[in-house]
Amino acid sequence: MKNVILWLFGLEESALSDPTVVAGIITSFALIAAVLALFIVLLVKKRFLIHRWGHKVWSRTKLLIQSGFFILTNSFMVGWFKGTIYQGKLKFMCVPGMNCYSCPGAWGACPIGAMQAIFDEFDASKSWLDPVSGTYVQAPLYWIAFYMIGILMFIGALCGRLVCGLLCPFGWIQDLLYKIPVKKLKLPRDDRLIDKSRNPKAVRFWLGVDKYMRYLKYAFLIVMVVFLPLIVKANPWFCKYVCPSGMLLGGIPLMSMNSNLAAAAGKLTLQKLLILGGIVGLSIFLYRPFCRYICPLGAIYSFFNRFSLYKYGIDDSKCNRCKGCSVCASSCPMGVDPVKNPNHPECIRCGTCNSKCPQKAIHAGFRMKTPEGSAIRTRKQK
Amino acid sequence: MKTESKLMRYIVPAALMLAGVCFIVYGATDGEAFAVLKKAIAICMECIGLG
Ligand code: SF4
Ligand code: SF4
Repeated sequence: MKNVILWLFGLEESALSDPTVVAGIITSFALIAAVLALFIVLLVKKRFLIHRWGHKVWSRTKLLIQSGFFILTNSFMVGWFKGTIYQGKLKFMCVPGMNCYSCPGAWGACPIGAMQAIFDEFDASKSWLDPVSGTYVQAPLYWIAFYMIGILMFIGALCGRLVCGLLCPFGWIQDLLYKIPVKKLKLPRDDRLIDKSRNPKAVRFWLGVDKYMRYLKYAFLIVMVVFLPLIVKANPWFCKYVCPSGMLLGGIPLMSMNSNLAAAAGKLTLQKLLILGGIVGLSIFLYRPFCRYICPLGAIYSFFNRFSLYKYGIDDSKCNRCKGCSVCASSCPMGVDPVKNPNHPECIRCGTCNSKCPQKAIHAGFRMKTPEGSAIRTRKQK
Repeated sequence: MKTESKLMRYIVPAALMLAGVCFIVYGATDGEAFAVLKKAIAICMECIGLG
């Protein structure tokens, strides 16, 4: 038992003589047990059935799921207590969301950091084991990063951007910031609402700016996560120059607990703090600016919304759009109109539209038909 | 109303998931999982803004 715990926590036997380490281990187990118990209660109470509960209960449930998942994946308390990070074997696995592996509590690796690490290892002159012939051949295969593509493909094909809506810690932090009660930057999406607004021309201009800026995240993915780490090398470029998650979950806690690290702070630290500050500030007024415009992981998952097993869909026999109802489109925090395209790449599957629809016409899940037997449309509206 | 075929609704996602598992196994045996572990167990100086 003791050996299993030591292996799990990646610790040497001598570490157990430190009472802080022991307290960390006990707290980790307590937190994991509490979160698992919470998830079991939510399952038993069927709180995942968004339809049944309406928006208020769903938004609280969603917050519980997000907080619970953050605690579950960042509950290596020895790291939080001692200002170190987890160094055990579980770290070859990736968590689904943007969760820096240098966060003191992180049990797993960040998918974007891991992908850059594999690309950085790639060396065309190295040989690799060909599984077919069983011999070592000279061929560059690391550049495909099979391991990471496989992990992201599996998660994406299972649930698409549901990861963004419920499981990503940086998404959760932005959600919390957006709860601060100040006037929000929100643009109407539905044509009828745009026409009713005070200055439809300006609204359409800013909608255009927002639309094109959303392509930026694909540029970050191609240039900073794939191209530069693979070709120029030397750095995990996105982590080093952009990622605010690394600064927030890794840099700030580690530097505040470890004076040696704090002493090494310099120009880059300031640059990253400014990026983090900008995103934190903007998140108070605009819903998830990082997810909208920057996140390369969201960009990857967005390809899978159309092809995932878990999907959103519309029961057209119930949807009242023809009578002027636009509750879903006007309430969507990501500016998506789910009736037009229930599996839009920008949809983070947060469940807001689903829980607010007065007709209960929006469905989320794995089925092709509603419990009453009507068909669920998962494609774009014709 | 035309709904999605079973092929698009279930078979394509299942095939993608299966392909994902094959990629993971292949990548792991090719040493990529080790590359991830190696990077993740040391404090990433670039990530935390120390360069
Ligand atoms: S877009 Fe990126 S940061 Fe936002 S929730 Fe998705 S994975 Fe997380
Ligand atoms: S379409 Fe619905 S589930 Fe998707 S982001 Fe908008 S409100 Fe959330």
